[in-house]
Amino acid sequence: MKKIEAIIQPFKLDEVKTALGALGVDGMTITEVRGHGRQKGHKEVYRGQEYHVDLLPKIKIEMVVAAGLAEEVIRGVTAAARTGKIGDGKIFVYEVAEAVRIRNDDRGDAAL
Amino acid sequence: MDTAERVLLEDALISLAERAGRVDRAVTEAAEGLLFPAIPAGLALVAVGGYGRRQLFPHSDVDLLLLAAGDGVGGEQQQAISEFLQRLWDGGMRVSQQVRTPEECLEVHDRNAELNISLLDQRFLAGDRALYAGMGQKFPRFVESHREELMRNLARLTRERHAKYAATFYHLEPNVKETPGGLRDYQFVHWMEQLREANGARMAQPEAPAELQQAFRFLARLRWFLHRQAGRDNNLLTFEAQDAMGGSDAAAWMREYYRQARAVYRAAAGRLENAGAQSSGLFAQFRDWRSRLSNGDFAVHRERVHFRSQHEMEQRPELVLEMFEFAGRHELKPSAEAAQQMEARLKGLREYFKEPRALWEALQRIFSTEHAPAAVRWMHETGVLTALFPELEGMECLVVRDFYHRYTVDEHTLVALTNLWKAEGGYGDLLREVEQPALLLFALLFHDAGKGRPGGAEAEESHVAWSLRLAEEAMRRVKMPETDRDTVRFLIGHHLELSAAMRGRDLADPRSMEEVAHQVGTVERLKALTLVTYADISAVNPAAMTAWRAEQLWRLYLKVHHELTRELETERIAGAPVELLDGFPMRYLRTHTEEQIAEHVALEERSRGRGLAVEIRRRESTWQLTAMAQDRMGLFAVLAGTLAGFGMNILRAEAFSNRRGLVLDTLVFEDPNRTLELNPTEVDRLRVTVERALGGKLDVRDLLRNRPKPPSRKQRVGTRVRFDGEAGSSATLVEIVAADRPGLLYDLASAISAQGGNIEVVLTDTRAHQAIDVFYVTVGGRKLTGEQEAAMGEALRRACGE
Repeated sequence: MKKIEAIIQPFKLDEVKTALGALGVDGMTITEVRGHGRQKGHKEVYRGQEYHVDLLPKIKIEMVVAAGLAEEVIRGVTAAARTGKIGDGKIFVYEVAEAVRIRNDDRGDAAL
Repeated sequence: MDTAERVLLEDALISLAERAGRVDRAVTEAAEGLLFPAIPAGLALVAVGGYGRRQLFPHSDVDLLLLAAGDGVGGEQQQAISEFLQRLWDGGMRVSQQVRTPEECLEVHDRNAELNISLLDQRFLAGDRALYAGMGQKFPRFVESHREELMRNLARLTRERHAKYAATFYHLEPNVKETPGGLRDYQFVHWMEQLREANGARMAQPEAPAELQQAFRFLARLRWFLHRQAGRDNNLLTFEAQDAMGGSDAAAWMREYYRQARAVYRAAAGRLENAGAQSSGLFAQFRDWRSRLSNGDFAVHRERVHFRSQHEMEQRPELVLEMFEFAGRHELKPSAEAAQQMEARLKGLREYFKEPRALWEALQRIFSTEHAPAAVRWMHETGVLTALFPELEGMECLVVRDFYHRYTVDEHTLVALTNLWKAEGGYGDLLREVEQPALLLFALLFHDAGKGRPGGAEAEESHVAWSLRLAEEAMRRVKMPETDRDTVRFLIGHHLELSAAMRGRDLADPRSMEEVAHQVGTVERLKALTLVTYADISAVNPAAMTAWRAEQLWRLYLKVHHELTRELETERIAGAPVELLDGFPMRYLRTHTEEQIAEHVALEERSRGRGLAVEIRRRESTWQLTAMAQDRMGLFAVLAGTLAGFGMNILRAEAFSNRRGLVLDTLVFEDPNRTLELNPTEVDRLRVTVERALGGKLDVRDLLRNRPKPPSRKQRVGTRVRFDGEAGSSATLVEIVAADRPGLLYDLASAISAQGGNIEVVLTDTRAHQAIDVFYVTVGGRKLTGEQEAAMGEALRRACGE
């Protein structure tokens, strides 16, 4: 099992969810986050006042999938979230030792 | 639910008492076997709380008081008590026990008010009867002598519980015990009555009014069913449970639930108010002081508004609207008596309001009061709102099931109004900048009205279309002016678009923002729509407007605002059928109606002879000066200066020039001394003076000589001057934020002119003593150079008094 964590642009969430749905991945955790990588922040001006935007809004999607499905999911997320511009985000993949469904003690892939 | 269960359900109340009886027997039996042999004297078992009342739901806790004599219980006795409790647990009872001495039962426990309250329902079960009698006989006297404290504690617990549920009973999945209007509230009413009527001889057992008894039976059956269905102490009325109870029409069944819950909530809220009123001497003084607000139509008594004359109210239905205006202005709720009088008249009101009548002005006054959302809520509670707008009936108590919404549609709407009024930070500033907040309120009132119509609950497009149709009908009936209707149509029709843009648009992509800017059209509409979106999202549930979302919406606002300001200079009307318009910014078309354009064309014709024409008109509470003239150096400064010279306070101004160099300037101003209103001839004198100043026959500085000097104290608002050479294609944007004062606009415009600057476009605004001015300026027909910017910046800051 792999845990896939994708940090994407907020406006790409719907597309990414659709892509994941098509791959049969329905379970996911979505968090509204802020951060920056190389994109860094920028400055906005409103009525003569400068607003420094240091941390940019992003969406974090976390999901755990069967190891065999991981590559496909990564490709799906990448394709859906890419605009080609700086700030598109990143994907991190982790090994998962075990998964347990609390309701009925299902384990491993069956718990996903 | 099968038939057998349904039959059982009918008998739920009997079942409650039966369960209590069974538990009584089990407890007594266990106590006789395990407890009393070890502790033959000095211990009594007392049923308290719901168990004491003989209302034991299938999986409710069994509240048991072990009343122990003053010297406490020793080790051996403790052993017996735990074996006794073990036996009850093994028998399937969830026992919630406390061991107390009689003295402890006769003390006020501020930190454990629940103990005092649970004893109101005490019932002797078994054990040392003399010990119990000692406490039981003193208890009524204890209650009587500590009545105030006990009531206050009980009210505090209830308020805390209500706060957890946002003090509303309109939850989509309510908890039938804890949510406002639930069983706990019914009990609260009962306890308050018991406390109120307490006398030293015995505990009072007040009878609840029939309406409440009916609600209690409804809620009790429901809770009984929920326990049976879940097999545990579950009190949450989930969507599944609603389907099980309501069958094919769960929505209709839920309306019945809300009707019952409302009866209970109202009774509870009434007791809470009284408890508050009794708690503080200072409050009582304030309350009495507020009675001075009474006038010829309304009397204020104990923080409530009454009609002076019921007859008058029946004769003049508008008085009902005035009542809510009064209520909204002073944050004074209509009294229970006034509410009843209005409710009794609802049919007549409905008939009266059915006819088209010019009610918009009266409504606008209600919607503009400081506590307008509360006033609208009271209108809703009394039924006056739907008598006035039957279009809103479809959303009453309407459950639309989705993952995010917490409230019924009507409650969502009322919460949205409240959130709009409470908006803070940048959003609060926007609200103060909006010209007619009443229109925002009206639009929000109708934004989801269509959800109650066929297909409205399922599809976004159809609910918006329905909401528009319903609002249209309502606006027509109350005779709202056409331009205002346009704003409302825009706000309802687009109320989902900014949140869609937040989710689905790349805020960093200028083209994407340009598209949103085009949909929105003008800065004024952007502000209004941003506020409607803010209020709508925050009313979905208490946690919906996260800081992250508030920031995203604000960023979207900034981006679109930037696009719209940029557009002032870049997007010009070309090839217009009317020559006057050729070269005006696109904004001109979006902010003017056909009639206004016709007036401008007429003004232009009048200007042909002398090269200028001026018109001054009254617009509700403000005045407007419109001038048409051939562009010349300092023209805008002359207008601003003349108005300031007459003591007028400029609120907003716009200046555009067309391709032929003809300038249209519009200045909206206040007349703080009511000079124009009280001396109609002054309007003419002002107009003639403006014309003479424009014609160079008069020096504006002479007019200003007698005006008060700008305040010399340090300004609260720091001056900010910013130049942007990128925003426009042929002019430099100059943005100035400064503390407002009489004559400021004149000084700024003069400073620009003195530096050789020509003002191409102006858009100014004031909010709370702060002026925000945007000028597009050229020097010699070109954008400003760095040096020119530096010199002009210096001059502008000096003009601001820095």
